[in-house]
Amino acid sequence: MAHCTSLQYEPVAEIGGGAYGTVYKARDTESGKFVALKNVRVQTDQNGLPVSTVREVALLRRLEQFDHPNLVRLMDVCATQRSDQETKVTLVFEHVDQDLKTYLDRAPAPGLSPDRVKDLMRQLLCGLAFLHSNHVMHRDLKPENILVTSQGQVKLADFGLAKIYSCHMALTPVVVTLWYRPPEVLLQSTYATPVDIWSTGCIFAEMFRRKPLFCGESEMDQLGKIFEVIGLPPEEEWPAGVTVTRKNFAPVKSRPITDFVPEINEQGAKLLLQMLTFDPLKRISALNALDHPYFHDEETSTLTNSSSQAVEKCSRK
Amino acid sequence: MSHVQLSSSALERLVARRTFPLHRRTSVCRNLFGPVDHDERSRDVKAKLREIIERDRQRWNFNFETNTPMDGDYEWEEVPADKTPAFYQETVKRSPSSDSADPESPAAEALERLAAPESSSGGGAPSPAEVNQENRVDKLNSRTLRPAPCVKRRRTDNTYITDFYVKRKRAGDSRKPTDTSVSCHLSKSPIPAERTPRKRIR
Repeated sequence: MAHCTSLQYEPVAEIGGGAYGTVYKARDTESGKFVALKNVRVQTDQNGLPVSTVREVALLRRLEQFDHPNLVRLMDVCATQRSDQETKVTLVFEHVDQDLKTYLDRAPAPGLSPDRVKDLMRQLLCGLAFLHSNHVMHRDLKPENILVTSQGQVKLADFGLAKIYSCHMALTPVVVTLWYRPPEVLLQSTYATPVDIWSTGCIFAEMFRRKPLFCGESEMDQLGKIFEVIGLPPEEEWPAGVTVTRKNFAPVKSRPITDFVPEINEQGAKLLLQMLTFDPLKRISALNALDHPYFHDEETSTLTNSSSQAVEKCSRK
Repeated sequence: MSHVQLSSSALERLVARRTFPLHRRTSVCRNLFGPVDHDERSRDVKAKLREIIERDRQRWNFNFETNTPMDGDYEWEEVPADKTPAFYQETVKRSPSSDSADPESPAAEALERLAAPESSSGGGAPSPAEVNQENRVDKLNSRTLRPAPCVKRRRTDNTYITDFYVKRKRAGDSRKPTDTSVSCHLSKSPIPAERTPRKRIR
């Protein structure tokens, strides 16, 4: 079956217009587990693979040694030279059937239960706290990059390859989304790990709403939509040295977050606001978020075994 | 850019090192290991590469060069990309030169940090804004650095004998002996994680 498809694959990939590529996945007949191949085509020069790529792969493998329950497993990395200009790096990952996007799409009518949201959020923050404590920012956290196993286990994907993915040249016509980008990135200011917390806040809201919180069509539109919810930040919080000035935006006041996420409880709303804080320095960290009273509520006692183990593992590390 | 700061003699040395052993430029150069057979080395490297590719192929019963599955323990199937999470789809990484020129990818300096979190200079001549960024980044990261146990645990890959000295010293400290390493580290949260106990003892 596969011999003709490899011939087919290359042109499809190169045209990239409209047609979808294919993904190879396999079942390990011994363990019954699934793996999938992610190909990254790396353009090279006479020096071979760029050092940055080698570093990124090394970092991924180092992180892998921790076997963190909320990160997607990386089983192997195989490089093959295609031509003088290109090397194909194949990452062998565990295969998870669905991402958070499809998980939310498939959730039946009233949406996820508050307990389910809390469990997912705890696992998400746990994975993130681990990455951040290892000096790794995700930078592109969105429902498509959060895998959810059939047992409801959250596994972050697509981290640590900042440079590889930064160009977002997916070969399928995927539009780069701005919806989860924090203000400091939209304003092209300086940024660090708090970017991921902003994205997490957007995703937190989306878990209740089952639709994105801020759907901007351009950077400016995205910022405008953000300010309609959190209000235009005071002058002193506006980052210095950015080209977009505060005067470009209408002086809107913040509105109650429950207007946009009516299903959220009181503590959840407080946590959400601490994540959707304009100033990255004032935004809550992943570790502090895990310690937020939202997670201390009684309904937490119904934690699944896997996630409580995950939290334990997280705090131990 | 940093090359600008090199003195001319340093530059010469650099050039010499790069072109060595074809063009010996300075008297400091010494051929310590005898003549290098470049053809032989090239053959060795290629053979090693083939070996690695062959091992990958056997391990996964998949031919990564032709992107075709083979018979073996793994039952491969080809699925349409839109039937799996988007994450698994193929991506292209552009050449590093176009990467750094790309304003859309502020990843360059982030990656430097990512690859070598301890070194603060991301490379290149820093403009005031960049310096500011580095400072801020450190400040931002210090919050997430707080879980020192994480960093400490990483060390267990590579345990130093002095790790054990630290424990002994801690026990002798006025600190409560029942302290777990976790609470111990948290109580010292203002200390950057990089400053490991190993260094402090010296």
